[in-house]
Amino acid sequence: MSKANYRLVKFLFLALMGLWLLITLFPFYWQIITAFKSAAETNRTIPTFWPEVWHPQNFVSVFAEASNFDALVDSFIIATGNTLASLLLGTLAGYAFARFPRQAGGENLAFWVLSNRMFPPVAVVLPMFFLFDATPWGTDSHLSLIILYLVFNMPLATWLMMVFFRDTPRELEEAAYLDGYTPLRAFFKVTLPLVLPGMISVAMLCWIFAWNEYLFANLLVGTDVRTFTIVIPTFTHGSQTLWNLQMAFSLIAMLPPVILFILLRRYMVRGLSLGVVKG
Amino acid sequence: MSRLEIEGLCKGWDFPVIDRLDLTVEEGEFFVIVGPSGIGKTTLLRLVAGLERPDAGRIKVGGRDLTDLPPYRRKVAMTFESYALYPHLTVFENIASPLRARRLPKSRITETVVSVAQLLRIEQLLSRRPGEISGGQKQRTALGRTLVAQPDVFLLDEPISHLDAKIRHELRLQFHTLEELRKVATLYVTHDYAEALSLGDRIGVMGAGGLLQVGTAREIFQQPQHLFVAQHLGQPSINVVPAALSSVDGALQFAAEGAELKLPVAEPHGQALAGRSSERITVGIRPQHVKVIRDGEVTTDTTGGAAVVDATVAIYEALGANGILVAETGGVRLTALTAPDAVFQHGEAVRLALRNDAFLYFDAASGRNVMVA
Repeated sequence: MSKANYRLVKFLFLALMGLWLLITLFPFYWQIITAFKSAAETNRTIPTFWPEVWHPQNFVSVFAEASNFDALVDSFIIATGNTLASLLLGTLAGYAFARFPRQAGGENLAFWVLSNRMFPPVAVVLPMFFLFDATPWGTDSHLSLIILYLVFNMPLATWLMMVFFRDTPRELEEAAYLDGYTPLRAFFKVTLPLVLPGMISVAMLCWIFAWNEYLFANLLVGTDVRTFTIVIPTFTHGSQTLWNLQMAFSLIAMLPPVILFILLRRYMVRGLSLGVVKG
Repeated sequence: MSRLEIEGLCKGWDFPVIDRLDLTVEEGEFFVIVGPSGIGKTTLLRLVAGLERPDAGRIKVGGRDLTDLPPYRRKVAMTFESYALYPHLTVFENIASPLRARRLPKSRITETVVSVAQLLRIEQLLSRRPGEISGGQKQRTALGRTLVAQPDVFLLDEPISHLDAKIRHELRLQFHTLEELRKVATLYVTHDYAEALSLGDRIGVMGAGGLLQVGTAREIFQQPQHLFVAQHLGQPSINVVPAALSSVDGALQFAAEGAELKLPVAEPHGQALAGRSSERITVGIRPQHVKVIRDGEVTTDTTGGAAVVDATVAIYEALGANGILVAETGGVRLTALTAPDAVFQHGEAVRLALRNDAFLYFDAASGRNVMVA
């Protein structure tokens, strides 16, 4: 290839990448500028691409109602509680499927667990509501969503942990037995440290799903417990949607997962590639 | 104290792997099990270690029955063919693992690990992880982990098979000098006959189902009880000639099946084979008992009634320390060991002096050595 041609290809490639970046980043850009606009400016027929007057006070106004902050706390409790439960159950079940496939019900049971994740959740929205309504803690509680999200997160955790455990050589555990460790001590000494990066990435996937969930939260909770996802649509004034406050609040809600991801990205990448490259 | 006794051990999955195996390894004895891959050597070690449950039979150490004990209560240490080092722990922690399992005080652990590391010459690697050291160093680390455990029985599964030749020899010599291994019963598994002959106080040759022969290196090599044993030991491997015995004028001879080669049976074997004239028999001829004589060369050494036959060179490999020659005589291909400086051409006519007093005779059907009653 001649030098001129090479430059042209490189230029076209970069142009394409730039266009792609523009498309993917535009919603994010729009969210940020909208969060700083006044309510009147957001409702113009001809939109502005840069706020005429900056309104950083929007970020304070969203907490004018004190319970809005509680919604973030509720979301955090539900996401974290669900993640811990998913991880605990998924790790135990994944270990059983990986190490004792026959006793644990075999490949078919493992696949059935995963297939729960593929089921369209909308189909069971109403039965779920009545089911949780019949429980002592009712629908409008942290516990109801923590348990409900297990339907989605536990299969994912089980399946991924199973794969991670399978990739951990059984001989390492056997070596630990011969060193004098009981199976439980061997698990904590050898197996768990080896799947830890995987566990962290599973935890992140579960946490982000539970943090972002809207449909079931909207149906089940709303009075005693509110998640931030069902608070966002409440920023209205009469029939007018307060886009600026909605965007400001969702920007705030984006921070925890982003920070989490930045802190744990090292494990995330290692965990997701755990099954890909051996050794 | 730590005598290992295995009685009537059976283990199988879809087919029997170990069938009524009996074996006693004395305290301080270095017992080597040699056999081809997939024959059940590792299974035997895993049964002794408690990683597999036997279908029948008992395993005892120092009179104590271990059969129903889990591996972590057996005081048995094992090195794995794959080394099975903990990848997330340093070399130090890998070696310290059995001591940590017993919750020994920190100072004791450090002291023991460092002294074992010095013994194995890996003390400079203690802070590295298994991923950062070479195969030979991994092997030493795995060995260190078993040594610190001070077990009643050592189980070593192909510990040096996957290393390159130079390090393999170096470590083989080290096994000779490791005092710890000589204090208790050691069961060492390998597929390499040279390792077995070099290291074993006694050697067990494993064939399908169990041990075909147990004995010292000399016994196993010179008096193999079974054709399988003779075939498995020795490099290049023994020449196997299916033949038919016949008596000509009162002298016993054998004729190679489907070929013209006929050789007299030497004096020491005549008596044992006398009752078998006109029977089919398998003759084993070790390559070192086939001497190649060049055309025109004077036959100076015909030690003990060697039979001399004409042959043609088929393949010659010069290997530095010696040469391996495959020659055809009367429709039979025989392998011979030659002097290192010899050069042979393909198709060259040579003569072979066969030490027929050192031939081995095996029953054609059972494969048993007919000379060993």
